[in-house]
Amino acid sequence: MSIIQINNLHKTYTDTKVPVKAVNGISLSIEEGEFTAIVGPSGSGKTTFLNLMGGLDTPTEGDILIGGKNIKDLNSRQLIDFRLHHIGFVFQSYNLIPVLTAIENVAFIMELQGIPKKERHQIAMELLKKTGLEGKENYRPGELSGGQQQRVSVARALASKPKFILADEPTANLDSASTEDLLNMMAELNKSENMTFIFSTHDKRVMDKARRIVTIDDGKVVSDV
Amino acid sequence: MKILFIMAWRNLWRNKRRTYITATSVVLALVLALFMRSMQFGSYETMIRAGVNEVGNMQIHDTGYWDNKTIDRAFFTNPELEQKISSLPGVLHMLPHLETFVLTSYGDKTKGVQLVGVNPEAEDLQVNISGKITSGSYLKKGQAGLVIGDKIAEYLNINIGDSLVVMGQGYEGTTAVGIYPVTGIAHYVSPQMNNLIVYMNLETLQKLIFPFKPGLLTGISVYCEPGLEDQLLSTIKASVGDHFEVISWKVMLSDMLQSIKLDNLSGMVMLMILYIIVAFGIFSTVLMMTVERRRQFAVMISIGMRKGKLVITSIFESIFIALIGVVAGLILTTPALMYLYLNPIRMTGEMAAMYESFNQEPLMAFSIAPSIFFSQSLIVLSLALLSALYPIFYVLRFNVLNALRQ
Repeated sequence: MSIIQINNLHKTYTDTKVPVKAVNGISLSIEEGEFTAIVGPSGSGKTTFLNLMGGLDTPTEGDILIGGKNIKDLNSRQLIDFRLHHIGFVFQSYNLIPVLTAIENVAFIMELQGIPKKERHQIAMELLKKTGLEGKENYRPGELSGGQQQRVSVARALASKPKFILADEPTANLDSASTEDLLNMMAELNKSENMTFIFSTHDKRVMDKARRIVTIDDGKVVSDV
Repeated sequence: MKILFIMAWRNLWRNKRRTYITATSVVLALVLALFMRSMQFGSYETMIRAGVNEVGNMQIHDTGYWDNKTIDRAFFTNPELEQKISSLPGVLHMLPHLETFVLTSYGDKTKGVQLVGVNPEAEDLQVNISGKITSGSYLKKGQAGLVIGDKIAEYLNINIGDSLVVMGQGYEGTTAVGIYPVTGIAHYVSPQMNNLIVYMNLETLQKLIFPFKPGLLTGISVYCEPGLEDQLLSTIKASVGDHFEVISWKVMLSDMLQSIKLDNLSGMVMLMILYIIVAFGIFSTVLMMTVERRRQFAVMISIGMRKGKLVITSIFESIFIALIGVVAGLILTTPALMYLYLNPIRMTGEMAAMYESFNQEPLMAFSIAPSIFFSQSLIVLSLALLSALYPIFYVLRFNVLNALRQ
């Protein structure tokens, strides 16, 4: 079942001296439960593409349908709410809230969703357990390693029960062991929870784990295997 | 909401030194402001208390006397009316006066003075003239003597026991002439009083001004319980009718109130400068806290936090900084001001002379009126809220993508 349907997507930046076509007519369909890597050289447009899919940027042309809803029709406030309920984000630099503990970071997104305290605490504990962070619940990001922070970040992304998780180069700041651990964990979550993961990456190790690799260059899909 | 509160509080302590410095600047400003205002209001309260003590909370005169203080606008005592007024709830007591401007003469010198006829015992209980006597003694009931200001004595070169000639206009065209011994020389706080006021027994002055009928008065000072003044003013006005005017101390001491207003205004200007400096201190901290978390804001909005909630967090942060400063400032200042309120500083030497030159008792008094603490704290909190305007605009105009690309 297709959860993301992208039709003839264009994004042209006009605030530069010369207009830049960052995404130039991408059409793509992503099914539920996929473990997909978006790859391509620097400047190929993969981050822009991910931002468009995540509703962080608006397309110049084309449609992005998530669960049948065209997010192009949503205003900025609706987009924020849409992201809160339907999209999970994992960032390259983890980007946890530094003043909150691991469990508070995970529970935070559920608090934004209005989930009662007891329930969100229970879910956050379960997610931290699943991501191998049992016992680290009350550690602040600064007290955790990069790999552990990225695990919290994945737990946070999962906490909102999203339709899919967008991960922008999630392993870029991790060492080999942490990368391996994180990828195994995400692959496990992909299998056990049927959670859809979409990565943008340069990392060969991520590509090796991915079941589908979409290569982008000059804003276009050049291969999809 | 609770998580926003927690985040705001913890955000403050991400950079403890900065928060301490900002809070300290708020504390210093508040301490300075509270001391300044307490001292100002303390001195105003002392001035007003002393003024009201002398003139009463209000005075009853013949209609028109306040605008044209002539002896022809004197009136005869009306025991029935006085009884009616003194029995009003809240009226503490009443002091009748007869005042007129006369010429005094001793040896080859003459001087114009304000002759004030008083009931010696009752007046002394209220104004404590006997406490200001520097030589001789205070008036006794029925005694035909004079208590003169020390500057008058100095000018006329007159001493205790010497007789002073008094000449002036009597009531209804009569002439008032008499000679009275000086029984006491007094030193008042006000140089003007030292140079102008001569006290004598009311009955003696009444006989001098109009010997044909007793009971002539120019005014009755009414003293009342605090807080009932406005209410009593209208009640008494209604009671006395059109033949009499009832003048509040605010009118009688309008010059003093004007100077208080002016002084208060200059104090406010000083405070404004101080608070502008503090506002910039708070603002710079808020600015740094906002700009340095640009990426964090972007992430929070990305994962689904509405901008409004970010704004609330920023407002909480500003309020917390101000609250820390306000609470610490109040804790530091309140006991000190309480002590100074109970133990005002008595000035000596040149400072005392300076106070006296402004007709003030040489006493540095402090006020602990709750309004001072409340208003200054409120100003600091308002400044914090004002500083929070920056993050509000910043967040509302925030471009998530630009921040994420950073």
